[in-house]
Amino acid sequence: MCKWLLILIGCVVSLQIQAQSGFKPVADMAPLKQQFAKAAQSTQSIQCDFVQEKNLSMLSDKIVSKGKFWFKKDNKVRMEYLQPSYYLLVINGKDIRIKDAQKENKVSGKNNKLFEQINKITVDCVRGTVLDNADFSTKAAENAQYYRLELTPVNKVMKTYFQTIVLLVDKQDYSVSKITMAESSGDDTTISFLHKQLNTNIPDAVFSAK
Amino acid sequence: MRYFLLSSLLGIVMLMAGCRSVYKGLQPVNGDVNCIRQFSPQFTSTLYSTQVDILKHHLSGLLFFKQMPDSSIRVVFANEMGFKFFDFEFDKQGNFTKHYLMAKMDKKAVVKTLQQDFALVLLRPDLRAAHTAADNRYRYTVVPTEKGNNYYITDTACSELVRIEKSSRRKPAVTVWMQHYNNGVPDTINIRHEHFKFNISLQKVEK
Repeated sequence: MCKWLLILIGCVVSLQIQAQSGFKPVADMAPLKQQFAKAAQSTQSIQCDFVQEKNLSMLSDKIVSKGKFWFKKDNKVRMEYLQPSYYLLVINGKDIRIKDAQKENKVSGKNNKLFEQINKITVDCVRGTVLDNADFSTKAAENAQYYRLELTPVNKVMKTYFQTIVLLVDKQDYSVSKITMAESSGDDTTISFLHKQLNTNIPDAVFSAK
Repeated sequence: MRYFLLSSLLGIVMLMAGCRSVYKGLQPVNGDVNCIRQFSPQFTSTLYSTQVDILKHHLSGLLFFKQMPDSSIRVVFANEMGFKFFDFEFDKQGNFTKHYLMAKMDKKAVVKTLQQDFALVLLRPDLRAAHTAADNRYRYTVVPTEKGNNYYITDTACSELVRIEKSSRRKPAVTVWMQHYNNGVPDTINIRHEHFKFNISLQKVEK
């Protein structure tokens, strides 16, 4: 009797775990795109903390960075790394500035096409237009809490850097909770967005590199 | 005419001074070459905030040293956003493996330069042909190389590493400073190339 009870409990627990983590493919992308775009339209700003984990597969080790993230419509992003060292990335339209512990640099899009593309992905993700990005083919899956969008690069240059980019989108507000960028080497970088505040008033001065 | 003679003479003197080896004053002394081994950084899983200035370019990121179970050391450099520039391995025997180098940087000269620079930092030289020398301030552990010598310069008691110089026959080509050791690991590391602008500066940060 005890044995059967244990088996029953085991089955229930495993079913519950499957339901939480198991993603089912989304067959029709159109409604998802619509909802995503609609939510993006109503999102004027995002302010949150982030934790970035660079997983070095061959070294069985990871580098963890932490910082703060701001987004303001249409295309203003400030990503400020505070740990383990200071690094600031500010995107204000076409103007991209980076500042490290020693220097401030203006990134010219012409010379840093890849950098521009990576930034475009970040902005596309938070704006909800990533599904329309022609540099990637997209597959979507869902569970009760999240949409899981898997972007595979079609662009030759991007393919050398990324195998896939996976976005975890919160179904409640269609905001991105986690981005995982997988490299062909087996390493990956995951950025988790925490303590999100939507549509708070963010002054424009936040998006000047200071 | 007198000015011409004077300036020519001055030019010849300067040229001769330029040809003179900066190591000419070194005198051989008795000493244990192995004493420099104590300055070999004991990297286990160590992270540095890193700034690189190469010609007109400036790069920043995180440089990670990790000792692997087989005693090899992996050196990985990525920018703050996780974008990897290179991943090198130095094994216990001194062999070098390039596991990854960003396509744009993947040139023979770049690989060789970085390999030599980090080999100096890891400070695991073959000391079989090494000897010790001194000038009036410092003690030099001299390790012959293909094109000159590597000089591991310490105080006379060999209790503090002053700097490392990778040199041609006459003058240093690369200088490395490793300072403020804490549990066998330097807090700051600076690498400077003397013939062209290529400087790497590392500041240890908590992982």
